Amino acid sequence: MNELLLQGLVNGIILGTIYALIGLSLNVIFGVLRVVNFAHGEFIILGAYGAYFAQKLLGLSPFLAMPLIFLAFAAMGYGLYFVLIKRLAKSDDPEHASLLVMFGVAIALGALMLIFFEADSRSLSYTLDPPFFMFGSVIVPTAKLVALGIIVVITAVLAFFLYRTLPGKALRAIIMNRDAVQIVGVNLERMSALTFGLGLGLAGITGVLVALIFPAFSPFIGQDYTLIGFIVIVLGGLGHPVGAVVGGIIFGLTEQTALVYTSGTTATLLGFLLLIGVILVRPTGLFGREALK
Amino acid sequence: MEGLKLSMEGIEVAYNSDIVVLNDVAVTGRPGEVTGIIGPNGAGKSTVLKTFFGLLRPRKGSITLGDQDITRQKAFQRALEGIAFVPQHRSVFADLSVRDNLLLGCWPFRRDKKRVARAIESVFDEFPVLAERPNAAASSLSGGQQRFLEIARALVIDPKVILLDEPTAMIAPKISKEIYALTRSLADRGATILLVDQNVRSCAEIADRLYILELGRNKAEGTREDFASDDKLREMVSEWMNYKIDA
Repeated sequence: MNELLLQGLVNGIILGTIYALIGLSLNVIFGVLRVVNFAHGEFIILGAYGAYFAQKLLGLSPFLAMPLIFLAFAAMGYGLYFVLIKRLAKSDDPEHASLLVMFGVAIALGALMLIFFEADSRSLSYTLDPPFFMFGSVIVPTAKLVALGIIVVITAVLAFFLYRTLPGKALRAIIMNRDAVQIVGVNLERMSALTFGLGLGLAGITGVLVALIFPAFSPFIGQDYTLIGFIVIVLGGLGHPVGAVVGGIIFGLTEQTALVYTSGTTATLLGFLLLIGVILVRPTGLFGREALK
Repeated sequence: MEGLKLSMEGIEVAYNSDIVVLNDVAVTGRPGEVTGIIGPNGAGKSTVLKTFFGLLRPRKGSITLGDQDITRQKAFQRALEGIAFVPQHRSVFADLSVRDNLLLGCWPFRRDKKRVARAIESVFDEFPVLAERPNAAASSLSGGQQRFLEIARALVIDPKVILLDEPTAMIAPKISKEIYALTRSLADRGATILLVDQNVRSCAEIADRLYILELGRNKAEGTREDFASDDKLREMVSEWMNYKIDA
């Protein structure tokens, strides 16, 4: 196989897992709460800043900061649910209202980050030894390998939670039949708050990973990640956790292998063409039925 | 099974704050009895059950379980109090297995592993058809089997009150017969049953007491004997439901 193509495939899988993580957290939030979290990308960038300031002010390595950022973001999400999301349920059209409200949150968060963190791009300073591994002719930076390992562990833990524990099954049951969950005595409100907390916690961790493997981040790039997240979940199937993982990897592979042969702009365009193709052939996404099961 | 009296008094429920669907409604279910709620389409029968379960919040009136006022309680809290609800529309978790559906039914006491195991074993004894396929996805069951699963899931908490909304709708006659027999048997074992049914004949056959609703209001109520002996009541049912209740 062409060496460059092989390199593109490896990059695609690694970036695809990051995209999968973005889609996974977006999908869990949408599936359970029917909230279109348009501010997801901004929360991701906020997570990156969390790692940056944890390192600068507390001297914490990004790897040690990761669980702390998860907990802080999960607590923020839990609180935000009661302040903001819960009230949306009382509107005439909660899904559209959520899209508009979260779009507002995205703008506000972006502006706040600009005010407090300034417009300059930031990057984490860390050293990993060795800095990269060679697999034949393929070069894989150690940071990307570590990120891949972390994402695999997170996805495995999340899959275990969703498919093997009763609270995880209750969460999936909400996605399958929201009304019926109340019949069995599940506190829908509390479960929804926990889910929003879980989604933002994962966004925070994604932010640390983004800061680890990309050269820099700034308050302006949140919407890029939101957009990727939406492409991934439409590809995989709205509300479907497994679909998000598959959608993320497919999108990552398409984008990175296209980069081998074309420019970055064309690669992005190909990602969108893939999305349009899937919508035309299978409007519910690769794993979707009417919503997630 | 140990039932508890469940009653609503002066209940007013409105959709979108201006469409009143229940107006000064009073319904009571008693331990060991099947209470049938009948009436024409749009009478508010299902709304009564949803309000009893806390899925709809009344604007006026009160709901009591035993001596406890539960008007302000949410649905999940009422489930924890021992009220089980089997809604008209499919409520199984389609992609979860039969066993997982039942395990979710045990949510109120999920940390008591022994009780959970006993509860599941008990409903598997009562519903052998479910015991035969514990790992099958609920969506792979027939309509009748899914209805059994919904009822079994309601029974795992050993409920004090069971609210059944059209349990035989879209179900084959043979299975319907089994569901009515089971409903009667649950009441005979002490449970309080409130049954909403379009099938007046079958409902009247197993009910101890009947309420007739019309346009969201109480129209008539009485024991089965009252309906059988009172010509006015008989005529009312006959006129609306094309069915005569006999003694």
